[in-house]
Amino acid sequence: MPLHAYLVLAALVFVIGLFGVLTRRNAVGILLGIELMLNAVNINLVAFSRFRADLAGLIFTLFTIAITVAEVAVGLAIVIVIFRVRRTIEADHLDLLRG
Amino acid sequence: MRIGSPELALLVLALPFASFLAIGLIRPLRRRGRPAAAVSILAMAGAFLTAGAMSWQGIPVARGLNPAVLWSWLPADGGPMASVGVWVDGMAMQMCVLVTLVSLLVQVYSWSYLADEPPPSLGRYYAYQSLFAFSMLGLVLSPGFLQMFVFWELVGLCSYLLIGYWYDRPSAAQAAVKAFWITKLGDLGFVAGIVMLWSGTGTFDFWPLFQAAEGGALHVDGLTTIMFLIYLGAVGKSAQFPLHVWLPDAMEGPTPVSALIHAATMVTAGVYMVARAYPLFALVPSVLTLIAWVGAFTALLAATMACVERDIKRVLAYSTVSQLGYMMAANGAGAPEAAFQHLTTHGVFKALLFLGAGIVIHHFHTNDVFRMGGLFGQRPWVGGSFLVATLALAGVWPLPGFFSKEAVLAGVLHAHLSVPFLMLLATSFLTAFYMFRVVFLAFFGHAPVHHEHPEPPVAMDAVCRALAVLTLALGLRAAVASHHVEGPAWLPWISLTWAFAGIALAWATYQAGRLDPARLAAAFAPIDFLARRRYFLDDIYGGTYRLLLLGLSRVVGWVDRYVVDGVLNALSAGALRAGDALRRIQTGQPQDYVYGVALGVLLLLVWAQLG
Amino acid sequence: MTETLGFWVAAVVLVAASLAVVLTPNLFHAVLWLAAALVATGGVFLLLDSPFLFGVQLLLYAGGVVTIVVFAIMLTERLVGESIRQTSRFVFNGAVLAAAVFVGILGFLLQAGAVTRPAAVGDQLGDLGRALVGPFAAPLQLLGVLLVIALLGALYFARAED
Repeated sequence: MPLHAYLVLAALVFVIGLFGVLTRRNAVGILLGIELMLNAVNINLVAFSRFRADLAGLIFTLFTIAITVAEVAVGLAIVIVIFRVRRTIEADHLDLLRG
Repeated sequence: MRIGSPELALLVLALPFASFLAIGLIRPLRRRGRPAAAVSILAMAGAFLTAGAMSWQGIPVARGLNPAVLWSWLPADGGPMASVGVWVDGMAMQMCVLVTLVSLLVQVYSWSYLADEPPPSLGRYYAYQSLFAFSMLGLVLSPGFLQMFVFWELVGLCSYLLIGYWYDRPSAAQAAVKAFWITKLGDLGFVAGIVMLWSGTGTFDFWPLFQAAEGGALHVDGLTTIMFLIYLGAVGKSAQFPLHVWLPDAMEGPTPVSALIHAATMVTAGVYMVARAYPLFALVPSVLTLIAWVGAFTALLAATMACVERDIKRVLAYSTVSQLGYMMAANGAGAPEAAFQHLTTHGVFKALLFLGAGIVIHHFHTNDVFRMGGLFGQRPWVGGSFLVATLALAGVWPLPGFFSKEAVLAGVLHAHLSVPFLMLLATSFLTAFYMFRVVFLAFFGHAPVHHEHPEPPVAMDAVCRALAVLTLALGLRAAVASHHVEGPAWLPWISLTWAFAGIALAWATYQAGRLDPARLAAAFAPIDFLARRRYFLDDIYGGTYRLLLLGLSRVVGWVDRYVVDGVLNALSAGALRAGDALRRIQTGQPQDYVYGVALGVLLLLVWAQLG
Repeated sequence: MTETLGFWVAAVVLVAASLAVVLTPNLFHAVLWLAAALVATGGVFLLLDSPFLFGVQLLLYAGGVVTIVVFAIMLTERLVGESIRQTSRFVFNGAVLAAAVFVGILGFLLQAGAVTRPAAVGDQLGDLGRALVGPFAAPLQLLGVLLVIALLGALYFARAED
């Protein structure tokens, strides 16, 4: 399969993740969308690494995975705290950013 | 020509400056008042002794020796642009002695005169006094125009601060601002002049300039304009017509401050500067003639105003303006030595007059001479001191004013300036008249109302006596030395005659009652009318000020209100409306912001595609 | 031939699972679909000759992340006392914007020329290990620090309030 096939597949997964981030009301749901987007990036990195015979892409993928795990852990901890405080994780009700 | 030790000159400068720094920076010292005064007086006494020692030690040298010690200043490509240092020739040393002496006496006098002031104000006063003395000494010892200008402005600042010492009085604050602005008007010319001189010659220093001027090697385009501009600085500082209007108002300051400003600092700066830069002025005869005419006219004009003034301090103020006119006329007539001699003698007896007037005012609780009387009988020492100073100012032999005035008159006559000479003679008559008018009204006659008169404080009394003795000593020394004045033999007699005529007229009018003052005034109706209204000069200035400044500010105000504010209002209204519209998209929900991010990414993609 | 077939299988599973993640109303199901999508991604990695990354993907993502998310969901459900149903907002807007971004990316991809696939490297894992302790040693250490910080941060946030 050519490189383009992998890239298009990654782009598709990416926009699906974006769609999830944009439309989910639940904070955990948004987090799942973000996971999909990061995953798509990983596919891109690995594909480029393979087709350019460059190891750096693989190493970046490893780093991304590790960072993603950390991000999920922190993100979920935050979700739990928000839930404790506001009794909801509906993103519609989380508008503390409003000035 | 004599030069003194530059180390001692630096010490003279350093003492008042150190005192100023100490009082200014050490807050408890300043707030406690009396200790600050003691520090300042001690520093001033030290400076006086040092100046005396410097003058005493001065060694005679050949004329061709540079009396200045310089350090380079303002480094620039191709050598320093200017230098600082001290210039210790005979004139500077004599002036240092005068400045330190008068400052010292004034500070001692103020110790008693301002005894009722709150301590913090007193500390402030002595800080200003120290700075004032330092500034004037720095000006006197300046070896170049630039340093002189710096100290010149410092002197102006200090006089502003001291005239406005009682800054909570509106009249004092106004007088301080008036003094500042009117002298600044002259300073504009001064600074322009020295910068033009620098651009023509490449130096601010006196020594190379004087060498070139005396050797006939100073070729500068427009030297006449330059020297005229520099002279303008002196017009403002030394209260020459038409910029003399600030000096009488400067009476709003405490009386010792008036004594200081009139005798040793501030107003003498202009005369000193012209005398100092005389080698340059000598190259431009037209400016010299102008200086002489303006000086003589100022002398006469101020004398007429002094004749109708009721306020004792204002009489003295106009007499200062008048005597400054004398000095300037001598400068203009090519006799700077005579000008300087009159400056020093006048400094001594004018300080005495003001300090004596302080006691008189203290005694009668009024400035109005028509509400005084009979002080001589009650306070013979005060009366005697004041009388000595008055005789000196009137130019009676053998007091110092006689000799210095004669030198001035001889100089003016020698320069063939006959009209200014006649004006100065008339002035000497008027001087005698108005001074003895004050003496007869305040010291003789009957005290109108009997108050409880306190004994004058010891310090004030002692200072006056010391000055009176000094005046007498100066006069006797001059009489014994029989200093020969170049001039016709009839000159001393005619000036003495005029002086005694003035005294006689004052006696006949105000003491013996032979002449009715009202009829005397009627005889000189137009002059009397104009003099009482100060020749409308204040009104003219006020009118011009209103016309120009207020007119301009009205235009500026209109522009500001309708153009600038209009634009701003429109802008701010637009910003408010835009903000109202924009804040709707700030929902506070992160997902809506993700929409923004995604749209931004999309825009970037499109942009990259098109590019 | 096997690669083409494998790619299509993996691609279909990945896209379908991804769509399910963002569309299913049940949050718990969404997490399971995410696990499926991650496994399919691992399959793609295998197709790209990276068996090691496939292992990492399975262990960390499908194992670790999904487990954490499941824990979080069960925790919040226990707190709220009912099963969490999730709904979507502005589905149309989101779809349009996502499609537009997809078209934008596609526009780029179509411009690029084809790249031939080089021959597979023999000892990929060895090279990876050497690179991680060689030129990438410092980032690796930093990553360790980051993980520790994230762990402590998560603990701090989620600690019981006392």
